[in-house]
Amino acid sequence: MPGFEETFQTIEMLQSEHLDVRAVNMGIDVFDCADRDIDKACERIKEKIVRCASPLLGACQRVSRRYGIPVVNRRVAISPIADVMAGHGTDDLVQLAHALDEAAEQAGVDFIGGYSALVQKGMTVSDRALIDSLPEALSQTTRVCASVNAASTRAGINVEALLLLGRILREIAARTADADGFGCCKLSIFANIPEDNPFMAGAYKGIGEPETVINIGVSGPGVVKSAIEKFRRSGCCRGLGDIAEQIKSTAFRVTRCGELIGREVAEAVGAEFGIVDLSLAPTPEVGDSVGEIFQAMGIDKVGGPGTTAALAMLNDAVKKGGAFASSSVGGLSGAFIPVAEDAVLAKAVEKGYLTLDKLEAMTSVCSVGLDMIALPGDTSPETLTALAMDELAIGVVNNKTTSVRLIPVPGKKAGERAVFGGLFGESPILGIRNNTSNAFVTMGGRIPAPLVSLNN
Amino acid sequence: MKDYILTVMAQDRVGIVRDVASALTGLDGNITHVSQTVMCGYFTLIISVQVPDERTQLEIRQAIERRGGVGEFEVNVRPYEQTPASRIRKAERFTLTLVGKDRKGIICRATEYLAKRDINIDDFYAYVIDGRFVMLVQVSIPDGVDADEVRSELESLGCEFELTVQLQHENIFRATNEVRPVIDLQRRS
Repeated sequence: MPGFEETFQTIEMLQSEHLDVRAVNMGIDVFDCADRDIDKACERIKEKIVRCASPLLGACQRVSRRYGIPVVNRRVAISPIADVMAGHGTDDLVQLAHALDEAAEQAGVDFIGGYSALVQKGMTVSDRALIDSLPEALSQTTRVCASVNAASTRAGINVEALLLLGRILREIAARTADADGFGCCKLSIFANIPEDNPFMAGAYKGIGEPETVINIGVSGPGVVKSAIEKFRRSGCCRGLGDIAEQIKSTAFRVTRCGELIGREVAEAVGAEFGIVDLSLAPTPEVGDSVGEIFQAMGIDKVGGPGTTAALAMLNDAVKKGGAFASSSVGGLSGAFIPVAEDAVLAKAVEKGYLTLDKLEAMTSVCSVGLDMIALPGDTSPETLTALAMDELAIGVVNNKTTSVRLIPVPGKKAGERAVFGGLFGESPILGIRNNTSNAFVTMGGRIPAPLVSLNN
Repeated sequence: MKDYILTVMAQDRVGIVRDVASALTGLDGNITHVSQTVMCGYFTLIISVQVPDERTQLEIRQAIERRGGVGEFEVNVRPYEQTPASRIRKAERFTLTLVGKDRKGIICRATEYLAKRDINIDDFYAYVIDGRFVMLVQVSIPDGVDADEVRSELESLGCEFELTVQLQHENIFRATNEVRPVIDLQRRS
C-alpha cells in the first residue's frame, strides 16, 4: 500500500483539483468507405462510425466508474475528408457533413473531427471543394469540426490557401452571426498538424495511424496550480527550478492516470491504444484555468512582462513530466492558451493586460497558438490571413505545431463581448493594431520552407 | 520442515527483531515472511517460519520468550494452514480513506458495512491527530460487487459521520506513484 502522503496527494488530485480525462478520442479510418456515389459514401461512412464508436459510451462509463475519474468528452476523428472524398464537389461535401453530424449523434459522441484538408504545399480540387464547403458545413451542423493544415516546416506556408481561408472565416462568421460567429470555433488552421491530436477542433486521424485507435487527452490545470501553490506555501521553494520540478512531477502523475484509462478503454472497444496527450487545456470553470497557473507562479497581471518566460517553463516542465511518464505521449502535449475558454485569460484581456501581440509572443513557447480569439466583425479577410501567417510562421520556423482559431464576431467591435457558451466560453473582442499589410498578403503564393541547418 | 505463523507483541525497544530471529535460528528455523510495525510505542511482529519437524509449538514460544525480560514478550505460535480454496476469490484491490472529526463508532460502522458487502480488509491504518480522524484501508472488492455502488454507499456512510470518504482503485495509486510502465499494471490485473 502506498504511504499516507502519496495516497492523500493522489486523492486530492482526483477529487478537489478537477483532474479528469478531457477527451477520449477514437480515430477511425474511413478511406475504405469512399464511393463515387455520394449517397453510398455517406451511408458507408456513417455506418462505420456508428459501428466503431458506439461501444465508446459504455466503455468510458465503465472505466470512469471503476476509477472514479470522469471522462468529460467522447470524440471521433476520421481520415481527412478532402482525401477520402476526392472527386466530390462542395454540395456532396456538405451532404457528408450532415451525415457525419448524424453519425456522431447516433454514436453518442460530442464532436467529430477530420473534416479536414492538408494543403501545406498546394490545394487539390478536392481540398478546394472542402474549404469552399466550410461555411455551409460548419453553420448547418453542430458536432462537425474542421481543420486545415496550411503550413509545415518541410513545405513552408501556403499563403494562397490562407487568403481563401480569410474569406471563408468571414463567411462562416456571417452564417452564424446570431451566435457571435460560433461556427469559426469549430475550425482550426494549422502549421505542422499532429496526426494523433485528441483535442478539438484540430483532431483528425492521420494517414499513418492504425484502423481504429484510441487517443486520450488529459488536462488538469487545477492540479498544476494547486501543486505550485502548496509548494510555495511550504517554504521549501529555493527558486524557479524547484517550481519546474513540481510541475514536472505533477505532469507525470496526471499523464499516468490518462494512460491507465486510455489503455483500458482501448482494450474494451477493441481498438489500438495510440497516445496520451497531457495538455493543460482550460475550461471556463473556476479552478480549471491556465491563467490561474500564472497567478500561482507569481504573475498577478497575466500578459505582463515575465508571462512568456513563465509559460515557456510551464510548457517544458509539462512535456518533461509527460515524456518520463509514458512512451506513448503524443498529440500536442503542453499548455493551451485559448482565451475565450479560460476565464482568467479572458479577464486579463478585458483589463487590457493581455493583448493580441503578447498572445502571439506567448504562442512561440507553448502548444497550439492564437486559439479562440474573438476579433472585430469587420476584420478584413486579408488581416485574418496576415494574423494566420504570423502564427503559422512561428510554427514553421521553430519546427513545432501552431494553429489559429480566429472568430471575427459579426457586428461587434473591439472591447465588446462575444459569448460562445459551454466549454467554448466567452471573451472580450481583441483589437488589432496596424492592420495595413494587405499589399504583402495579397501577393499570395507560398512562403518557402525555412532552412533547417545553419540554425545558430 | 514444518511451517508456523507466530506473532510477538512487546513494548518497543532496540533489538527485538534480533532477539526473535536469533531464537528461531537457534531452533534451526528459516524465516520466510516478516511484517513488523510500531504503534504508540508498542511493537508487533508477524512471522512465517519453517522449523524442523521435531520442534513443538511450545518450544518455539519458550525459545522466543527466553530472549526477553520476564513477561516482556507476548508470543503466539500456530501451525500454518493454507487458505481453503473456498475462501480464495477473484477480487480487485481498492484503497479506502475516511477523514474527518473523530467520533466513537466510526471504525465499527465502516467495517460492519465492508463485512456485510463481503469486502475483505487487507491492510488497515487509522490514527487521530488533533481531534482529526484519518483511516486508510486497503480492501479487496470481489468480482460481482459493483465498486461504484460501494463508493456511493460509503459516501452516504461518510455523510452520517461527517467524514470525507474516498474509494479509489489500487491501479491509480500505482500508476501515479510508481515508475514502472502503466502497461505492466494492466497485464498484472
